[in-house]
Amino acid sequence: MRRSDSRSDSTGGAERFEYLQTLVTEFQDTDSGEAKEQVLANLANFAYDPKNMESLRELQVTDLFLDMLTEENQNLVEFGMGGLCNLSMEPQCRDLILQSSGISLVTDCLSSQREETVLSAITTLMNLTTPQSRSDITAPAIVQCMLRFSLSENPRLRSLAAVFLQDCCSREQVARAELQMQGQQTAVGIPLPKDS
Amino acid sequence: MAASSGNSSSCWDSPEVYKHHEQRKVCISRPKYREGRNDRAVKVYTINLESRYLMVQGVPAIGVMPELIQRCALYGAVEEYRPLDEYPAEEFTEVYLVKFQKLTSARAAKRHMDEKSFYGGLLHVCYVPEYESVEDIRFKLQDRRRYITRAAQNRVREKEQKEAEKEEPTTSRTATTSEKIIPRHDQRPNNDNTGENTKFSHYSGFQLLPLPPQESHYYGHQNQHWTGQTEDKMGTLHNAIIDTRQQPAHGLSSSQTSSDRERDTERRLTPKQAPAVRFVPRTTNLENRKRKIQEAAKPNTD
Repeated sequence: MRRSDSRSDSTGGAERFEYLQTLVTEFQDTDSGEAKEQVLANLANFAYDPKNMESLRELQVTDLFLDMLTEENQNLVEFGMGGLCNLSMEPQCRDLILQSSGISLVTDCLSSQREETVLSAITTLMNLTTPQSRSDITAPAIVQCMLRFSLSENPRLRSLAAVFLQDCCSREQVARAELQMQGQQTAVGIPLPKDS
Repeated sequence: MAASSGNSSSCWDSPEVYKHHEQRKVCISRPKYREGRNDRAVKVYTINLESRYLMVQGVPAIGVMPELIQRCALYGAVEEYRPLDEYPAEEFTEVYLVKFQKLTSARAAKRHMDEKSFYGGLLHVCYVPEYESVEDIRFKLQDRRRYITRAAQNRVREKEQKEAEKEEPTTSRTATTSEKIIPRHDQRPNNDNTGENTKFSHYSGFQLLPLPPQESHYYGHQNQHWTGQTEDKMGTLHNAIIDTRQQPAHGLSSSQTSSDRERDTERRLTPKQAPAVRFVPRTTNLENRKRKIQEAAKPNTD
């Protein structure tokens, strides 16, 4: 595609691109679970540096990371989610993720048992917020989830969810979610009628 | 779908000794071509994990706190520090919390001090993002996005310059002109929701055709749904156009260091333009030159 641009990059873009390509190839070819985890973690860490983002985009690593979100291996999910968190900071990567149904895949990660996975998912959702995607990102179910997180004992979760609620949601949305939560809580104590 | 805090797994219940404080075992099975300079564990760093708060463990309990802080200060200004008496420590060692003014300083300090000896002890340095306030986190994320967006813009500009130089070695003036054009574009009014020109001023590196009408349409929605507070916050994150703060144009030269970028207060960036930007085939050089001439001829519309 636009490999010629990477190649002419003064920061060794050509070698960089080829190295990243080698990693992606190893990831796709290896049978070793351990190697897969290592390479995925490498790619996710490379995704932290903006110098690499274009190469990673061209190598379709956004899709690779998205694929990891539905893996059984929770390390792969965590590293993939971390990679997306890193890449989604950049507008073009963000758009690619949005185009590949990123919102629903990332939202599913909110129910992970892994702290880092959930935190990466929350930040990624914030990164993915654009005027067009905002209504999906602030769907009532997600806002309610964030509201619950904002009451968590875990300080990182609590604070990050608070940022989401304050920065991505309108006051009305939060108020609505609060009402819904209260409704659910009061219903819990009430026994259901026998014939319903 | 939501992770209810009721039936949570152990990672939520753990006391202040969090998983991310732990030193993971170094990975020994890494093939040579992937080996780094140092042995590393398998771990992914995201902006969530990084923090300007560091915890330093393994400091010998011989009254060397001043020396420790001096060592930390080599990497950047230290805002606060205190011993963490409540944190479990190995015998004869102390644990300290160090708050740096900047994330980049904390990052450097961690890299250079972790696993290094210090007065006979071995330091273990890790980020402690749990100490961050909501404001800390918000600032951290916004700052990171700004940096990434600016880096992307610089790269685009560099590429454009290189292409111009490569194909037209005799017209080096063109490259200089584009450098000069860009700061002027920064001064364009940011209330303009309809001007497609405004949208693309910062992406003069992209040889793009004007957007179809529906693209400019969605910029208009920006102001309509949200309360003032969220607008501003999302505005600085995503839409420089509705940011009502007029900022002086600074030359966003590609030689700007990362610390300069970090130091910048909220600049008007144009991440808003990014959703509209697509990868499109390169236009011809003729169009490229034509557009540059046009942009150079445009009056400054402050």
